[in-house]
Amino acid sequence: MKQNRNVKALISDYFIFVIFIALVIGLTIMKPSFIQPGNLVNILKQASINGILSFGMMFVILAGGFDMSVGSTVAFAGILAALLGNGNYPLILPLIVAMFAGLCVGIVNGVGVSVGELPPFIMTLGTMTGVRGLALLVSNGKPITGISPEYRAIAAGDIFGIPMLAVFLIIVIIICSFITSKTVYGRRVYACGGNLQAARVAGINTTFIRISTFAIAGLLAGFCGFLMTSRVTIGQPTAAESYEMDAITACVVGGVSMSGGVGKPWGVVVGSLLITVIANGLDILGVSSHWQKIVKGLIIVLAVLIDVKGKGKKN
Amino acid sequence: MKMKKFTALAMAALMAASMTACGGSKGDSASASTSAAAEEGGFKIALIQQHQTNAFQIAVTEAAEAKAEELGVQLTILSADQDAATQISQIEQCTNEGYDAILYEPVDPDALGDASKVAADKGVIVINIISACTDWESFGISALSCGDNVTAGETEMQHVADLLGGKGNIAILTGPSGDSGGLQRLEGYENILANYPDMVQVVEPADCGWDTASAQATVESWLSAYDLDAIVCENDGMAVGAGNAAGADSGIIITGVDGTPDGFEAINDGRITGTVSQDGGAMAANGIEAAVKLLKGETLENNTIITTNVWIDKENVAEFE
Repeated sequence: MKQNRNVKALISDYFIFVIFIALVIGLTIMKPSFIQPGNLVNILKQASINGILSFGMMFVILAGGFDMSVGSTVAFAGILAALLGNGNYPLILPLIVAMFAGLCVGIVNGVGVSVGELPPFIMTLGTMTGVRGLALLVSNGKPITGISPEYRAIAAGDIFGIPMLAVFLIIVIIICSFITSKTVYGRRVYACGGNLQAARVAGINTTFIRISTFAIAGLLAGFCGFLMTSRVTIGQPTAAESYEMDAITACVVGGVSMSGGVGKPWGVVVGSLLITVIANGLDILGVSSHWQKIVKGLIIVLAVLIDVKGKGKKN
Repeated sequence: MKMKKFTALAMAALMAASMTACGGSKGDSASASTSAAAEEGGFKIALIQQHQTNAFQIAVTEAAEAKAEELGVQLTILSADQDAATQISQIEQCTNEGYDAILYEPVDPDALGDASKVAADKGVIVINIISACTDWESFGISALSCGDNVTAGETEMQHVADLLGGKGNIAILTGPSGDSGGLQRLEGYENILANYPDMVQVVEPADCGWDTASAQATVESWLSAYDLDAIVCENDGMAVGAGNAAGADSGIIITGVDGTPDGFEAINDGRITGTVSQDGGAMAANGIEAAVKLLKGETLENNTIITTNVWIDKENVAEFE
């Protein structure tokens, strides 16, 4: 059974990767400047925040949950980081506060879902609305200005030409891949999503595992809030609207099953890059925003459709 | 307390006297009774904002509160949270609760006509602020206090044209597709562009939904494929995103509309060139002033009150911060 599942997941990765490569080749032919190093750096920068969020979302979905609140959490953490990032405190403070705020939201979600037994959609819809309100309350509805140059430099900087944002994404990818594939904890997350009852009977503390996946999503959302403020140079209470949808899309396109228990980090990386490449490619082609929405919707549905059909054939 | 009772009594006596003296014409009694209400703690005015989630809207809130305090009226501020249905219920609610005047910025220019008419028919003074409702006069709305988005767009694009010498590659970032304020600014851009055939839009206007991060990503992508001389944005938030993508003193002309703190900060450090202020605070304050005038039975010289917009760049930004 496990063997079968792995084969399925592998094929799923493979198909989405082919679609991704085809898209890159297509865009390069239509507009050669797409493949220029400068634009590849853009794609990395633009994929980073969504990529990090998608990894948090991956843990939640793998364990059979669902998190609508990450976009609001990014905005709330971003506001806190902006308020503390005016140069009066060492940068570690806004980083810790932002991540701690995210962690708290995540734990509240997790406790509501696994102890309160609320459907994840309802619980996180509640925190999505409430935390957005907190972001507006703390900032009084205004953008927070006065971010210190050192703080701005975090997202604007690079190491050997690789933008710092992408470096953070790569670190998150490595840590998350290690956790999901090499640790007991990772296997327990898959077990919870695969069959919660069976996992519980097998002696896994499912309550703890489920709370922890929401906590990871919250923690990473808090980290994204910190990065977001550095990138846009202001703290905006309305930032990251519907980012949760992009994160969910990246997971689903990347082969993470919405019913839990199935999915690989590698797929999430490709899913997240695919979304960014679509947006970046359409901008470069100068496609009007109205068409962009239509094309994005079509590509998402087609990518998953081809993926599912491909899986069906192999089986 | 005693004083208040005394004035109320005096007013009542005066009213009775005026009624007998003038044969009790309807208009007189109405104005007398409202001014009696004014003596007893001021008019009750409701302001229903479109939302309260950006610097522009907070400026509206603050200016309205200051004006209400100055004129001694009781002001209640509500937020419709960008939802037309919520706004309709709020107008109905305020009408039932006996507010003397209702001011609102419509979430949707076509949705509030009937609710406004019902309120106006019950004797509530209805004033439309910031962006106009379609055919507002036909729904009993007493006055319109707004900026002119078309003029704001024209002012912005004219400055861009002057800075470019009428020639160059430009790109436009817009608010959410279908937003009436955004569409009017776009109309202003097009009015000016019609005079400058050498100013070419090399890409379609991009909808970045007023969002800084989204504008930043779009402009980063554009800059790797197009040679742009100017990026014209419908608000300051998006201009800041464009400025972040281009970097400080990039040589690209980047402009916005609104005159919000994030825009001023970016003008100061050279990420954006300039902005056109839309004085939302003045629009709200003028609206309240008009409401109080009407409640006192006076008439307005003009029932459309236009707030002028100003070009702000590095030269004069200090005066606005």
